[in-house]
This record gives sequence, structure tokens and C-alpha cells, in this order.
Amino acid sequence: MADYSKFDALNVQILGISSNIPFSQKTFADSLKLPYPLLSDAPDLKVIRSYGGLNPQWDMTTAQRWFFLIDLQGIIRGQWRGSTSEVFPSEPILKAARELSKKQ
Amino acid sequence: MQMFGKARSKMVACGIVSLLAALNASAVEQPTVTELLKPLNLSGYASGMRPPEFSGQTSDGKMLSLTGLREKVVVVNFWASWCLECRPEMPMFERLHREFGAQGLSVIGINAREGAAAVRLYAKELGLTFPLILDPRGTINTAYGVIGLPTTFLIGRDGRPVALAVGPREWNGKPARALIQVLLAEPAPLKETRSMAR
Repeated sequence: MADYSKFDALNVQILGISSNIPFSQKTFADSLKLPYPLLSDAPDLKVIRSYGGLNPQWDMTTAQRWFFLIDLQGIIRGQWRGSTSEVFPSEPILKAARELSKKQ
Repeated sequence: MQMFGKARSKMVACGIVSLLAALNASAVEQPTVTELLKPLNLSGYASGMRPPEFSGQTSDGKMLSLTGLREKVVVVNFWASWCLECRPEMPMFERLHREFGAQGLSVIGINAREGAAAVRLYAKELGLTFPLILDPRGTINTAYGVIGLPTTFLIGRDGRPVALAVGPREWNGKPARALIQVLLAEPAPLKETRSMAR
């Protein structure tokens, strides 16, 4: 992730959550050299469901590419919805994180 | 005769001491699996992880599953005929297959989304005799999280994932052979234990 260091400088912890099992997440993370952890929500998909992010295009068995920005008090301060076929730009999330950082 | 007997006893005792010394030396020199991953830049696994089961048809029409390879050391290589970096690895896997197959090594190639004819042609061209599983829909590739080729997994006799290689490696070099030999030397799990674990 090209902007990881920018998020890191703002004290933002990035977490990836998917319906995949830890084994396949490790292959994915190693392949992309991801600097942040991936969390497995398999098999129950409780977290993805609680965020309303199950993907109807895949029979509700996978997560949609959604992003949430959560502040230090645990309150969701931003939400973005990307499509599964395109890379979502990190600029809007980074901008929101900067503004949140100034307030906190 | 007595003297000879005493002398022989001493010699035997010396022999045992020497053997013990040799055993201690080999125990010290024997590298651990974790140490052997470093020279090949292989990534290890946390304990408790298990590789997904897979089952598929090989390019010569046989069915093959990971379950059927229990007690073997398994090399699972994901590849495709269009993958340039995969190509130099294939003769190396073939050599490992031929050299260590009888000792319990299983080399399995899992193709990515190509037809049987393309896979058979590729195998013939490179002289490959180890099993090549077809994965026309990419189901096994997805289950293993493979997003780039080549990607290779090493699985121990007890079924645990040992190592992951994203990208090509020198599979016929000393580090790879040492790793495979150490894995082959590990005891296979007891059948009762394995059946309980299932």
C-alpha cells in the first residue's frame, strides 16, 4: 500500500478484514508485502455482517470493498464504498484521517 | 582369549563413546526447519494453521487429493504455461520428484485456469512426470490465496504448512535440498493420531 506510511504517521492503524481463512490471507499478504495485518472473519462472518458489508453479488459469502475510519473513542467517523473491480483511491480516507487527527 | 575379550570390551566402549560423540555433534550441527527457511527467503507459518484440502483431476485424467498424500512431504507449486518465471522451476521440481519421490516426497503442480491440452503439451515439452492438477475455475488457486505465479507451498509429513515461496526459487540448490531432507527425516504421525485430528 503506497500511502501506508502516511496513515502510520497520523497514528492510524490499518486493518484488513475478509471472509478468507488465515491460510489464504497469509499468501495474499506475502504476495503483496502488506505492512498491515489481515484479520479473518471466517467462517461466521460476524464482523462483516455487523458492518452490513456482506456482498450480495457473491451470495453474501464475501465482504464488499468498504472502508471505515474509526476514531480513538471507537466511533465511526467516515465510510467509503468501493467497487470490487477497481482500486479505491486512498486520498479521501487520508484527508479524513488528517482532519480527524487535528481534532483529537 | 580373555585378554582379547577385555581388549574388545574396551574397544566397544570406545566405539560407543565415539558414536555418542558423533550423535551429539550431529545433533548440534543439524539445522532447524526455521533456520533452513532463511537462505531460500521462505515464509513460515504460525502453529495451528492447516493448508486447505484440495482435490482435482490431473492432466492425465487421474484424481488426486491432498488427503491422499498424508504422511508425505508435499511440494505444491502453482503455475501456468504463460508464466515465464515458472518455467525454469519446472525441471528443478522434476529432479526433486525423481530423486526424493521414493523417500516420501510428493511434488504436485497446480495449473491456473488452463485446459488439459495446454498442460499436457507443456509437460511433454519439459519432460515433466510429476502430477499436474487442472484448476480450470481457479478454485484451488483461490483457496490457497494465490494471486501471483509461481507460488509454492511446502507441507510436512504431519500435514502442517511449513513454508511459502512467492516467486521463483532455486529448488535444486543446497538450501532447498537440505530443507527437504530434514522434512523427509521427520517421523510420520501415528495413524491413530491423524484419524483423531481429522
